[in-house]
Amino acid sequence: MAKEMAMLHDVARCSACRACMVACKQWHNLPADFSTPFEGQYQSHADLTSKTYNLIKMNERTDKDGKFHWDFIKIQCMHCQDPACMKGCPEGAISRLDSGAVVIDEEKCVGCGYCTTNCPFNVPRVDPDRNKSTKCDLCFDRIENGMIPSCAKTCTAQAIDFGTIEEMTALANKRIEEVKKDFPNANLYGIGPATEGVGGTHMMYVLPEKPSVYGLPENPKTPASIDLWKDVVRPIGKIAGVGAAAGIAGLFVLSKMMGKKNH
Amino acid sequence: MDLSRRSFLKATGLGSLGLALSNLGFDIPKAKAEIMKEFKLTGAKEFTTTCHFCACGCGQIGYVKEGKLIQLEGAADCPVNRGGLCSKGLGYSHIPNSAERVKTPLYRAPGSDHWEEISWEEAIDKAARAIKKARDENWIDTETINGEQVKVQRTDAIGLIGGSQVNNEECYQLVKMTRALGMMSIDNQTRVCHANTPPAMSAAFGRGAMTNPWYDLKNTKLAWIEGSNLAECHPMGLKNLMNAKKNGLKIMHVDVRYTRTSKIADYFIQIRPGTDIAFLGAIINYVIQNKKYDERYIRLHTNGFCLIRPDFGFDDGIFTGYNEKTRKYNMESWGYQLDANGKPMRSENIDDPNTVMSKLKQHYSRYTFEKVSEITGASVEEIKMAAELYCSVKPAVFMYALGMTQHTIGVENIRCFTVLQLLRGNIGIPGGGIDAMRGQPNVQASTDYGIMFQYFPGYLPFPTEKTNTLAKWTHANGTFRAKFLINLLKAWFGDAATKENDYCFGLLPIRNTSQNDSIYVQFEKAIEGKMKCIYFAGQNPMVSNPNLGMVHRGLCHLDTVIYQDLFVNETAAFWQRPDNPEGSDEFLKPADIKTEVIFLPACSYLEREGTMTNSMRMIQWRMAGPDKVGDSKPDYEICDMLWRRIRELYANSTDPKDQPIKLLTWNYPKEHMVEHIMREVNGYDLSTGHLLNGIGEIKDDGTTNSGMWIYAGIMRDGGVHMAKRRGQEDNGDMGIYPNYGWVWPDNIHLLYNRASCDENGNPFDPDKKIVWWNAATNMWEGYDRPDVGSLNAAPSTPAGQKPFRMNGEGLGRIFAAAYSDVENGETRDHSSTPVDGPIPEFYEPVESPTKNALHDNPNAQFSPCVIYPRMPDLQKIGTKEDFPYVLCSSSLAEHWCGGTITRNVPWLNELVKEPFIEIPKKLADKLGIKSGDKVKVRSVRAEIEEKAMVTDRIKPLMINGEEVFVTWQPYNWGFTGLSKGASGNYITIDALDPNAQSQEFKACLIDIRKA
Ligand code: SF4
Ligand code: SF4
Ligand code: SF4
Repeated sequence: MAKEMAMLHDVARCSACRACMVACKQWHNLPADFSTPFEGQYQSHADLTSKTYNLIKMNERTDKDGKFHWDFIKIQCMHCQDPACMKGCPEGAISRLDSGAVVIDEEKCVGCGYCTTNCPFNVPRVDPDRNKSTKCDLCFDRIENGMIPSCAKTCTAQAIDFGTIEEMTALANKRIEEVKKDFPNANLYGIGPATEGVGGTHMMYVLPEKPSVYGLPENPKTPASIDLWKDVVRPIGKIAGVGAAAGIAGLFVLSKMMGKKNH
Repeated sequence: MDLSRRSFLKATGLGSLGLALSNLGFDIPKAKAEIMKEFKLTGAKEFTTTCHFCACGCGQIGYVKEGKLIQLEGAADCPVNRGGLCSKGLGYSHIPNSAERVKTPLYRAPGSDHWEEISWEEAIDKAARAIKKARDENWIDTETINGEQVKVQRTDAIGLIGGSQVNNEECYQLVKMTRALGMMSIDNQTRVCHANTPPAMSAAFGRGAMTNPWYDLKNTKLAWIEGSNLAECHPMGLKNLMNAKKNGLKIMHVDVRYTRTSKIADYFIQIRPGTDIAFLGAIINYVIQNKKYDERYIRLHTNGFCLIRPDFGFDDGIFTGYNEKTRKYNMESWGYQLDANGKPMRSENIDDPNTVMSKLKQHYSRYTFEKVSEITGASVEEIKMAAELYCSVKPAVFMYALGMTQHTIGVENIRCFTVLQLLRGNIGIPGGGIDAMRGQPNVQASTDYGIMFQYFPGYLPFPTEKTNTLAKWTHANGTFRAKFLINLLKAWFGDAATKENDYCFGLLPIRNTSQNDSIYVQFEKAIEGKMKCIYFAGQNPMVSNPNLGMVHRGLCHLDTVIYQDLFVNETAAFWQRPDNPEGSDEFLKPADIKTEVIFLPACSYLEREGTMTNSMRMIQWRMAGPDKVGDSKPDYEICDMLWRRIRELYANSTDPKDQPIKLLTWNYPKEHMVEHIMREVNGYDLSTGHLLNGIGEIKDDGTTNSGMWIYAGIMRDGGVHMAKRRGQEDNGDMGIYPNYGWVWPDNIHLLYNRASCDENGNPFDPDKKIVWWNAATNMWEGYDRPDVGSLNAAPSTPAGQKPFRMNGEGLGRIFAAAYSDVENGETRDHSSTPVDGPIPEFYEPVESPTKNALHDNPNAQFSPCVIYPRMPDLQKIGTKEDFPYVLCSSSLAEHWCGGTITRNVPWLNELVKEPFIEIPKKLADKLGIKSGDKVKVRSVRAEIEEKAMVTDRIKPLMINGEEVFVTWQPYNWGFTGLSKGASGNYITIDALDPNAQSQEFKACLIDIRKA
């Protein structure tokens, strides 16, 4: 019997050392990506890219009491229980594995970019060179071989943990009790009401403040209509499959038509 | 090795550690078959090694396919990192595959504008001849020192720079060959980083090293991080610390700006660079005034109740015995009142006016919260909170790095920690101690091996004009250490070293104590024409030294540079420098520079074997993994080739000056060379060949040898190399792991652990016991090896009451009194005293934005013992009128030291792309600067251009009634490598600590304007 796994990022512990970013690139043989120029900021990339599946966001913030905070959060695929990317993929290229990892099969992916648009967390990125959609795959191949994901293994602050959903939930709840002493709004993100709309996520967070402080959506949703929607776009997807740009443009129009909030 | 999951788990120890998913048994989630491609590691060969950046010393596991490295991760069985690695440790995986690596020896002819490829034979021959020429033409046979003619038999014309980037065996080779050549100017990275640590720590405790192992951090309740950016620069220190969270750990961070470490701390206090003694002085004052000290510990284990001479005093910033002309102290009055046997006298009354405690009380009474607030910029409330926090919990640990050391008062900065921890009884106990976090992978060892002008291997003082015979050396340094010197001489000169000839002591070069032969002075001597040739082994001073204009000028004056490294970096390519930030009017084109450069391409650590010593003195074995790149060679092989060639060149000489070269033992077989070298370091019985099992087996009668006494016991008979051990046992669950690697001395992990017990040998805290006296067996026992001279030394005997047995007194020295312990009329051991005071006093940095608020004496504005400038034309002192802002410089998580490695790793360059300067928002507004703007940053020494980072993480400070702005820059860039940028070190100051000559890198004055 297989077990569902989860990853926990404890935002209170993270030191933004960014070892996890290098670990992710090393395991996946991803090249360095200089797309974000240095303009006096610490954060290395403005957002996820097709060469950067895992990013530490860094933000200086002064709260309403005048207290200074430097917020760090690790962003990557959330590995939704009910993944919009998978549901909306016209090629059936995305699947959720027993471990909970949501993975893209590159052989099937045509680079249409629907997953990008559908994802409530704005995660997948189509690699313009290869015309394939890319994102964190929870290092499912490592899990399969008895190793923990690359980022979790290397973390220098014990800020990333990996284990079964039950273990991670218990650990997160314990941590939240600690964090609450200093941050009364501390909350668990990934299980429970906040992420109900995507069926919960296999990527969980201990957050000292409410999710929006860290740029996480307060109520991400996988639309119930997405299956139907996929059937509508599917034929267009086939045509658009010859060029990602056309595909995204086509989808953009379509999603607008359907009143979906675009990212 | 084929990588089935089972064998993988076994090899990494993952299976037993619960770090993998093995606890799930057969329930590991299976991927859908069609998605699973071939697993990356299938069919790869595994090897283990240790990381090459900071001195955390993380274990690594590497994977090689077809000779190429395909993956590098943390080793899960290494207790330091348990599978973790920081960005740099991971990023090194790029290096064996880097296209930028140098693949063949290179030569740059004098005046030439290009490199040419040459053969190894040619390169080694050129290097050997250059060394011989410099030596023969600049030999100093005798010298007049203090009016006396002294035979010194040395050369000052050849320098060695490096050591902390090479393995232990290579450190030993380097020190052995350079000393045999009669060289004095040998130095390594420690000078630039932690040279101030050993004099400070040994003045208090008798040894210079970090006291507690990394894994002991789990036992602490308060981690006080000051002068360290732990999260960025010693990431596994942080990982270990996180294990203490479950005990309710609190983290205090005191620093000059809010960093990634401050983010994970519970408390953060910003102080002005260079004011740590004032800040900690206020805490010392608080501890004493409020009697928060541990009186029992002080009485038993320290010199707190000892009586200081009545003529000791301190007035207006100056201790007694000061000579204004020489800027030196005569330390005599800093001694104890001695009894008839020459032992320190004690009082039973702590308040006796001459006890150490009374002297301390009087001295620090000036350090009130209010006064210290004005000096440091921290508020009275913050200082009070910090003092109360420190006294509220036990155990507490101090963790520091270069933020404490890189000052002209660096030694006294660290001494504050030692005073506080002795007062509170926090030394020798689990969860306590002072974690001096060394910065370079093998800087602990390059210091141990004595790649420093003042030392021999094992911290034996190098012979000077005052100690130029074995008898005089023994008188000054004690019989205890003379034994180890004799064993070193036996190792170096073999059968030629006999009792009759003082074991060839007479062949040694003699150091002139009026000379400073540190790395900074090597370049100064080059400018003066006295230094001709410098051999660099993996150090990049053309980025990492302060006042870089001096370094460049020095290099241009040399005849020969021999450079051994992986990449052509700024030091190797100094003759190609594209810019001129210091505004030099000389050496502007390659044609102007007549220095020849010989580049010797070394292999990376992943490609060769050997051992390294991390910050907690643990020695670990490194296996070789991927194939060597091109024609690069292991450093040990390069050293071997070089020495053999030098020896050949001198083969026919009958000149007495060449005798040390001819007599030096050096016949390491090619196969397993590093193990043969370590055998000599360890030492053996000369008649039986049996390896020594520990320091206790070293004999003083010439029947044993030991190249470095403190490592005795690392190798055992039967081919046992203790550094290769990977045992996971931790009896008592105290974080010792005695069977993993091997720790010097004698595998003692927690130094001074005897101090965790009372007078009867019973642990003060039975729940956290680490060693104890077992009356039934009449033995000291413990989870760690007890730190006692003999395991049978009962607590009822004097030998059983010496928790700080490497001090003459056997006690912890709150007051670093001048003292030599005498036994049978001969010095047994000598305690060390910092040259600038027996207790710390606050002085301003040499370049300061304010007047010293504690004294009016002009000699005491900055340290009264600092001599600066040394070369007035090239070393100026900026004033706040022209340079109103304070600059602090250091490293960051993603780049490291001279950047030779990290700036050649694309994954690190994408994280931090170029140099910058952090500017407080209010100052930026005043100067009209926005984040990302290019700014000109100027000191009295040079001007550079970099981008601005405007931030709230540095607050403006009120200092002595005036607003002061502090800025910060990383210094790791230069003009070579994949990421190029301005070198911050052009603007930093090269004023030095008078004890150990570390530079004042952490505070200088600058001006900033928009470019
Ligand atoms: S976060 Fe986005 S990409 Fe990841 S599983 Fe959820 S919907 Fe898919
Ligand atoms: S789980 Fe793997 S793919 Fe995902 S962020 Fe971590 S290292 Fe990258
Ligand atoms: S490795 Fe851990 S501490 Fe470092 S940035 Fe990633 S999550 Fe944060």
